[in-house]
Amino acid sequence: MLKGFTRNFKPLEILSEEEIEAIHRGTLSVLRKTGVRFESKKALKLFEKNGCQVDYTDNRVRFPEGLVEECLQKCPSSFRVKARNPKNDMIWGGDTVYFQALSGTGSVDLDTWEPKTPTRKEYYDAITCLDALPNVHIIPWYTPWFGFKNIPPVMAMPEGLAARLRNSSKFTCSNYSMGCEVFNIQMAKAVGAEIRSSMAASPPLTFYEDAVENAFRTVEAGFILLITSGSVYGGTSPATIVGSLISGNAEIIAGIVLAQLIKPGTRIIVQDFSFPQNMRSGSPAFGAIEISLHQVAFNQIWRRYRVPIDGGVSYPGSKKIDYQAGYEKAITALIGALSGTNTIWIQGAMYGELAFHPVLAIIDDDMVGMIGRFLRGILVNDETMALDLIDEVGPIPGYYLNKEHTRKWWKLEQFIPKVADRLTYPEWLKEGKKDCLSLAKEKYQEILSTHKVDPPLTRSQEEEIERILKEAREYYRKKGMITDVEWKAYMKDLESPNYPYA
Amino acid sequence: MNNEILEGLRKAIKEYDNEKAENLAKRAVEEKLDPLRVLDAMTVAIREVGDAFGRGDLWLPDLVGAADAMQAAMPIIEEEIKRTGAKRESLGTVVAGTVFGDIHSIGKTMVCTLLTAEGFKVHDLGVNIKAEEFLQAIRNYNADILAMSALMTMTAPEQKKVIEQLKKEGLRDKIKIMVGGGAITEEFAKEIGADGYDPTAPGAVKLARKLIGR
Repeated sequence: MLKGFTRNFKPLEILSEEEIEAIHRGTLSVLRKTGVRFESKKALKLFEKNGCQVDYTDNRVRFPEGLVEECLQKCPSSFRVKARNPKNDMIWGGDTVYFQALSGTGSVDLDTWEPKTPTRKEYYDAITCLDALPNVHIIPWYTPWFGFKNIPPVMAMPEGLAARLRNSSKFTCSNYSMGCEVFNIQMAKAVGAEIRSSMAASPPLTFYEDAVENAFRTVEAGFILLITSGSVYGGTSPATIVGSLISGNAEIIAGIVLAQLIKPGTRIIVQDFSFPQNMRSGSPAFGAIEISLHQVAFNQIWRRYRVPIDGGVSYPGSKKIDYQAGYEKAITALIGALSGTNTIWIQGAMYGELAFHPVLAIIDDDMVGMIGRFLRGILVNDETMALDLIDEVGPIPGYYLNKEHTRKWWKLEQFIPKVADRLTYPEWLKEGKKDCLSLAKEKYQEILSTHKVDPPLTRSQEEEIERILKEAREYYRKKGMITDVEWKAYMKDLESPNYPYA
Repeated sequence: MNNEILEGLRKAIKEYDNEKAENLAKRAVEEKLDPLRVLDAMTVAIREVGDAFGRGDLWLPDLVGAADAMQAAMPIIEEEIKRTGAKRESLGTVVAGTVFGDIHSIGKTMVCTLLTAEGFKVHDLGVNIKAEEFLQAIRNYNADILAMSALMTMTAPEQKKVIEQLKKEGLRDKIKIMVGGGAITEEFAKEIGADGYDPTAPGAVKLARKLIGR
């Protein structure tokens, strides 16, 4: 059986048919009239060859409707992706819902809540934890953290992917920066896994060359492309939710046209990574309720386009693992799941993109379990309706606890969280008044001492990963992108007797 | 008449009216108003907006709107200052920009606006600025302060590159360097050898004053 959840009921919808049509027409009009800027000669030429109007003075591409409709139809509405272990394969699209860990720039100290740079060992351990959590279906790029101590920034992405491939057999991803996708693709191929990579718009209505170059490389490698619009409404897209949706969808569709022109039938996932702008600080307003409105509408529109959706980024605005983080994450994740997205980012993220903690991922995994249980819905058949049993038990003194039906069904019906406090009050007092945070800390230690990746990399896969990393290190060193100081610290790190794990 | 123009300019900035600000600046030049007085009127207006933002009465779109209106009038007045050879007083000259590889502008624009309001002469180079462009601007404007922004972890090291380039060319000791942006921390700022860091735009203004002792 494949991983993940299936939504067994109609999704939540908030737009009328007329509204969807108006948004669709509006998006086509932006693509035709305003156009999208592509800072890539290669892309501009491909667009021109296929009937787009290309203005080389400002690198703007205007898209004919026919081509747009044709390319949308070329996107598979559902597809399978291959993880390192086939039991972790997934089918994206339709009513499937997957959850993925959500990364952070760095870690935090759970006592002082001060930021902390993780070590190599902490990085690998956090991946072990994510591999062990049953409701983490994907361990994406930058996860758990953007980098770790003594790693030059240019090597963060290849080192991160190597760590995820070593300590997990779940589906993983890797992104682009300074051309590192070349090494990432090699590594995925070396272990026989597929990866997802991205092409992110720089709103408004712009794609820079690095994003486009990665799209070419990912599509040509036959991997899955995530096309992202990540605006802040009011800053890089209109302040209105619908205006922002139209602007973002125009970016995503422009990306889809490019991908389908490079290779028809390319597997695409579309991502809504938009936030309202915090009009005091200028940063994205993480945890805001408007994110959910944006996502519900996004999900509804893209279900109509029949392209698999990544539309639920569950970042809290809170800096601590607290009540606020809990409600912010729960609301965005639950609404995303109910409204028909196929993918939600959640486990481990603290304030915005700035922090991740594996202990929080454990708590989040319980929340995801609850949502997953809800998505399964209610099974209605003769056995679950239990008419014969109701008749047999009758009124008091009849009861159900001693029935075979109860023994069979309660476990199928009830989700049991792993670290949520569900003790009775007297038990809770006796057990030392532990909350879910302290229970999750204990669970983390237990996972680290018991969990083993299944399967570990073979010796030849491991050698190949190391060879590719070496090539990447030398490439960036030669290009002058790793300074002498960085190189010295990095080399010392590599000499550790427990390399690559510590 | 003169006061009417100055009052109009103040109002145009506080009402985010680019066109009116630009037209009034042109009129001020035509009427041969002292460009330093015009600049002063605009600075007062932007300071009032900045203070209201600091108090929480105004929001980011208001601050940026006022900065845009001022920016519409500024080149006209600066040209006139240059033409008349008037001596312009300022707290100091700042060269600012978002580093190479990074196109995030909001934080940098906020800091530039508030620095202008405070009385600094600010040269905002924009986004995606290479080390050599920073260096050239520092030389051209004889800057007292370099203010660099980076939002992304991947582009933050670019700030270090600029500082190293300044050292190489013997300019490091002649300038104060302040850094900011989402990817920057106090620790990082120290590590790369910057003179100061602050996570907020109003804080950056206080920092700039502190750095040049004014």
